[in-house]
Amino acid sequence: MKHFIVGAVSALVLGATTAAAADYPTKEIQGIIQWGAGGSTDTVMRSVTPHAEDVLGGTVVLQNMTGAVGAIALNHVAGAKADGYTLLMGAENPLLYKVMGLGDKDYSEFTPINLLARGTAVLVANVDAPFDDYAGMMKYIAENPGELRLGATGPGGLPSVITAMMESVEGDLDVISVPYDGDGPALTALQGGAIDVMPAVLGAAIESIRGGKMKPLAIMDVEASDKLPDVKPVTEFNDGYSSLLPWGPFFGVFVKNGTPDDVVAKLTEAYAAGAENEDFVSLMDGRGYTIMNMSGDEAQDFLTTWQQNTAWLLQDAGLTKASPEEFGIAKPGE
Amino acid sequence: MDMFLAFLTVITQPQLLLLVGLGTFAGVYIGAIPGLSVTMAVSILISFTFSWEVYPALALMVGIYMGGVYGGSRTAILLNIPGAPSAIATAMDGYPMAQRGEAGTAIGVSTVMSFIGGFIGIGVLALAAPFVSDFALTFQPRDYMLLAILGILLVGSLSSGSLVKGIFAGALGIAIGAVGRDPLTFTERFTFDLQIMEGGISFIAVMIGMFGVSEALLQLHHVDKTAVKQKISRIVPSLGTVKKHLPLSMQTSTIGVIIGALPGTGGDIAALMAYDHAKRVTKNPSRPFGDGAIEGLVAPETANNAAVGGAFIPMMTLGIPGDAVTAIMIGALFIHGLNPGPMLMVDNPNMFWFIVGALVMANFFILLFGLTGIKIFTKIVEMPRSVLIPLILLLSIVGAFAVNNSVTDVYWMLGFGVFGYFMRHYGYPLGPVILGVILSRLLDDNWRRAIISEREDLGRFFSGIFSSPLSTVLLLAVIFIFVSQTPLWRIAKTRLFGRTGSN
Repeated sequence: MKHFIVGAVSALVLGATTAAAADYPTKEIQGIIQWGAGGSTDTVMRSVTPHAEDVLGGTVVLQNMTGAVGAIALNHVAGAKADGYTLLMGAENPLLYKVMGLGDKDYSEFTPINLLARGTAVLVANVDAPFDDYAGMMKYIAENPGELRLGATGPGGLPSVITAMMESVEGDLDVISVPYDGDGPALTALQGGAIDVMPAVLGAAIESIRGGKMKPLAIMDVEASDKLPDVKPVTEFNDGYSSLLPWGPFFGVFVKNGTPDDVVAKLTEAYAAGAENEDFVSLMDGRGYTIMNMSGDEAQDFLTTWQQNTAWLLQDAGLTKASPEEFGIAKPGE
Repeated sequence: MDMFLAFLTVITQPQLLLLVGLGTFAGVYIGAIPGLSVTMAVSILISFTFSWEVYPALALMVGIYMGGVYGGSRTAILLNIPGAPSAIATAMDGYPMAQRGEAGTAIGVSTVMSFIGGFIGIGVLALAAPFVSDFALTFQPRDYMLLAILGILLVGSLSSGSLVKGIFAGALGIAIGAVGRDPLTFTERFTFDLQIMEGGISFIAVMIGMFGVSEALLQLHHVDKTAVKQKISRIVPSLGTVKKHLPLSMQTSTIGVIIGALPGTGGDIAALMAYDHAKRVTKNPSRPFGDGAIEGLVAPETANNAAVGGAFIPMMTLGIPGDAVTAIMIGALFIHGLNPGPMLMVDNPNMFWFIVGALVMANFFILLFGLTGIKIFTKIVEMPRSVLIPLILLLSIVGAFAVNNSVTDVYWMLGFGVFGYFMRHYGYPLGPVILGVILSRLLDDNWRRAIISEREDLGRFFSGIFSSPLSTVLLLAVIFIFVSQTPLWRIAKTRLFGRTGSN
């Protein structure tokens, strides 16, 4: 009798799960955005999700859950059920939480649904800065040690990675690094002259560059961007960068590991369609983002490589709190 | 001519006008409920209006923004619970008025003053936006730091009783604001290795607890008392009253526009600074400040609505948000395929004039919705306390949860509510705590930025201050306001002028 009950209950439970997966979604899906409203992660997620909803046939309710550079949102989703009803919408930086001492979880606890797009970094300067390109800036730093104010957004942020790259290629730079809480405030400060140079994602700076409010020094990539064809890629100034580039921040949608495969498949299909949507593509392109639209193993490989390269770059620059080795992040090429 | 037509778009297309009206109406109520914030409403609207055209979407958002900033004053006056941070100063004289049965007058004055302040903000936006945004950009980290110090000196005017207790409360606020991962280096501060402390303490949770819950607890003492009967015969203030306060409202609106236009400061700081300014310049207030002075309503209400126009200035001219709400609107423009940035005014000047038009109409709607339906609102305060107190507690819990969908915030809110009750009980003012929390980050981040920029050299730091006229003026203002609050100043003043000064 006892066995029968257990069997019946488990059959019911199993039946319920399969049924739930087959007609997923049966209720509202929560989309937890790691960053604040109006930021780049927020705008990307809010522009792609309505297209994905069309395919999904359900509603994704988007919520911003900010704090501790996104760790609060990540921990929230990691603590929710792995049923596909809680999505994590984030950027690249959780891959650095472990080495930066910001948390003990990263994307390895999650399955990527879609890595939507990737940004390219650009070095921008105040319009009155006494140099016009990357070479001029390096010359200025050499002639005026400790005078150049370089914007930063805290350890693990895009500027810290770009600065680490510059130091690994050019040797130690005698500059003042002024921290801001985000690239928006830092780019504002750049226009007001509080800082001289800022490594920023192209999408955040492109309109101000077009408007002549800041000047681009170099694209941090191996080739010029078709958005700013006149700006040389940094590899033309120093070939040493070609081993480190292309590199860029990215945006992705994730679910917790252990989510049923067919739910993952359905979400993957929906977000892939969203990433291919014409409106979304032209929106991203206009802002200088490159569409990636990666999922499955391809996405997983991308995450692994990105994490290895970036974590070790920061480790070699002496910026990490703990060595990548401790977390089993292999050195690139090993 | 084109620009005039763009300005009129909102009137010539009835559905846009309707949306502005709808937005303003919703905004007044969203603003009035503590915790339901305009920021939240506008970010929900981004997804909601995704498939709409850009004009209707913006019309709704502009309405909600304008209405929400005004709406915060409602609950501040009626219940002593500011519906939004920008209404904190409004509660200080608005609530005493409601206690005297003058809630109708208080709401009437704050509505008309919000309208005037709103117009001055919009006027500056329409006529001088590029000039003001250039000025706002010249603020360096050291200037923001001096501005924060100037703000902290307001502790004096926000503490009704003992100044020492006020300073203690302010310092506590600054410490609360510093909890969590430091945003510049991500180092943990005051977290005691607890995960819930890592994200810091939500400022809104502190505000709702300190004002909402502590007020409810305090009211429990008088649960049997019958509520004050409200006189609502005279709601629209007389022309004489408006005229009398016009000079003050011009000054406080100017404060509002400038503070609003600065990226990083918004209506909350503007309203508190305006309140302090009113206290300083008003020689003979209608009643002492803190007891229901009309001037104490005029100042914050003009300033916070003027700050709305101010916040649009850097947004429209440079694509830089003036506050949290305009940051989301920039996102909305982007999603609708526009490119917010310095080229927006050049490529798409109609957008600018459309927003100015929508703001003007939203401002008129405030007058309409603000001066009607007051009867129902005043009924709220006339409710028996046994109904009102649970209602306040319920709103506080819902509000605290809604800010970040986090139960932790509810615990913080309740904790600070009980703490705030005891603070009030022992005569510690709560205003300075909130002031401290608001200014904590502004002061801390900018001091560090300023000194790091000068290679951690105090000599270079001060020579930087004296080489910039703006920094010098701000430093002198700090020194003047500080000295004018010391006994030394009073003695000097008596010696020089042979009579006691009014402060």
